[in-house]
Amino acid sequence: MRIIVCIKQVFDPLTPVNALTIDSDRKKILGSAYTPPVINGYDEQALEAALRIKENWPGGECEIVALSLGERFKLDVMKKALAVGADELVLVDDAAFDTADSVFIARALAAAIHRLGGADLVLCGRQASDWDNAQAPLLLGEMLGWPCLTLARRVEVRNGRVEVERVLSDGSQVMESNLPAVVTVTSELGELRFPPARARLQVARRRPKEMTLKELNVEIGSPAAEVIDVSLLKVERECQYIGGANGAEAGRRLAETLIDAGLISPNGG
Amino acid sequence: MAGILIFAETDAGAILPNFWEQVAAARTLAPQLGSVSVAALGWQIKTDEALRSGAEAVYVLEDERLTEPWPDAHLSALESLCHELHPAMIVMPRTTLGMEVAARLAFRLGGALAQDAMTLQLADDALTITRPVAGGAASATVRLNRAPWIVVPRSGAFTPAEPGAEASAKVVSVQPSISDAALKTRCVSRARQEGETISLERARVIISGGRGLDGPEPFQLLHRIADAIGGAVGASRPPCDSGWVPTSYQIGLTGKMVSPEVYIAVGISGATQHTTGCSSARTIVAINTDKDAPIFRMATYGVVGDWKEVLPAFHAALADRG
Ligand SMILES: Cc1cc2nc3c(=O)[nH]c(=O)nc-3n(C[C@H](O)[C@H](O)[C@H](O)COP(=O)(O)OP(=O)(O)OC[C@H]3O[C@@H](n4cnc5c(N)ncnc54)[C@H](O)[C@@H]3O)c2cc1C
Ligand SMILES: Nc1ncnc2c1ncn2[C@@H]1O[C@H](COP(=O)(O)O)[C@@H](O)[C@H]1O
Repeated sequence: MRIIVCIKQVFDPLTPVNALTIDSDRKKILGSAYTPPVINGYDEQALEAALRIKENWPGGECEIVALSLGERFKLDVMKKALAVGADELVLVDDAAFDTADSVFIARALAAAIHRLGGADLVLCGRQASDWDNAQAPLLLGEMLGWPCLTLARRVEVRNGRVEVERVLSDGSQVMESNLPAVVTVTSELGELRFPPARARLQVARRRPKEMTLKELNVEIGSPAAEVIDVSLLKVERECQYIGGANGAEAGRRLAETLIDAGLISPNGG
Repeated sequence: MAGILIFAETDAGAILPNFWEQVAAARTLAPQLGSVSVAALGWQIKTDEALRSGAEAVYVLEDERLTEPWPDAHLSALESLCHELHPAMIVMPRTTLGMEVAARLAFRLGGALAQDAMTLQLADDALTITRPVAGGAASATVRLNRAPWIVVPRSGAFTPAEPGAEASAKVVSVQPSISDAALKTRCVSRARQEGETISLERARVIISGGRGLDGPEPFQLLHRIADAIGGAVGASRPPCDSGWVPTSYQIGLTGKMVSPEVYIAVGISGATQHTTGCSSARTIVAINTDKDAPIFRMATYGVVGDWKEVLPAFHAALADRG
């Protein structure tokens, strides 16, 4: 069993808008110089899904490869994948990957997976928090001609098939397919486990495997959808603070203020 | 390529309410792109409303395999229809199914995808849209260089169109073409959450709880308050991920987009991925122990305090005035 988990390095999605900057061409969001990047949250959860599969794998013959396309990688951030238990970390470093073009990213992912000798299962996050595209895994499935199962909160592999429980807005759905397949993971799956201290020390000495865009042999072509401008959205309202001698008084005053302003009605109207 | 096709998603035969926002989005470009048609996919579809959408034709694609939101089946049926009709633009609903099928359809048709479009502008044969990115922290202008353009309008960006008086559209029944080879996945089972009392999308007042509530029990107090003021209860992501409340409560980028008159956020810090789903509320009220929580920057009224003290008194005051 071979699982490739696609992980993306992104600027911290909790960076306040005021701390974000835009590049001089107004085509990219740069994050903040003071906040280190992170592994995209859903990708950490995809990694967790992989680790759970490996844990329950008969005979333990299950290999997990974490794959990332990006630039200016922070090794201590990306090596978290190794610290939690991935067998290998593969980084493809090229400025071309700093793009919102999901078609290009998916092509490069497909090529990298191919070069890595293929996989039985590719796990991805449901979306990357920088552009919120939610497209690369779907396109990857199309390009590889593999089934694609999305928004999994549970992923199980048995008898050459993968079964997922996917989250819908009004419930859930169990779906399955044969392997190989692409599966995207959602936050309901649960957080990535914490790496043991010992493992964190051990990975300091390990090197990621490096590949180049050239080796992947994908062309950068003109994107079907192209970002031509980006601006930050700063919303500021004037907040009227409601206080009191204690929380209870503030709570009562808040209710009265809202009722008097006609915003809420105490009899369900 | 000409005209606009709207994908009308159905659930238990009924067309989803998103449809009317899609109609509104389509109408902004109909003068330039020509006729609007609708493709309703599902099983035992009730088409009457769609017939009053002002569309020229309603293509009805019925197949039992289109009962559940099964991406492969819907994609296959829609793709074949597009190969027949050659629409210049396809408007998809912002739903789990709609967004997924949109991305894959754009790829198959060799077109370009615009997720979460807030505005649409057509000039010099290119469609340019704006969309929120980075969880709503920024807005991007995106040019779609290749047609057909597959557009998913952002919830709340286009004021829903109203059904017209006349059922003017012609109905065209089409046997959906869903090949077995296209069905690489299988549906095993489906579970539905029990009906919410008041739907979040339609609620006038919403009271939402966040991680600061620290467990499932406090949501009962939120429910009592919501009942008293005729509102609905929502949540940020952590309470849903932790199973304190069902996922259907989640408000935000990957949850529901709501626009009530009043939104009360309790123990919610105000991350952009959450507030992007409620920022169109006319009045936002925040209750949070941290005076620096970002939620106060978008609130109209705020209480810096512990919900354990604030909320019971808030609830009692409602009873006093009721
Ligand atoms: C791509 C992406 C998509 C996402 N989609 C969504 C989404 O759809 N919806 C969503 O909500 N989030 C979403 N998130 C997560 C989002 O970034 C935040 O992590 C989340 O909204 C935080 O929830 P919270 O405010 O409840 O928790 P926290 O940020 O932990 O805030 C808890 C707050 O409670 C306050 N508090 C603690 N104790 C008390 C008390 N006793 N009384 C009063 N206040 C108290 C604290 O001061 C704090 O401000 C998404 C993230 C990403 C990256
Ligand atoms: N540059 C990348 N490197 C590795 N995986 C990626 C990359 N971009 C996207 N992915 C994967 O695809 C998912 C969806 O990304 P996106 O379509 O960009 O929202 C992410 O959660 C990752 O699992």
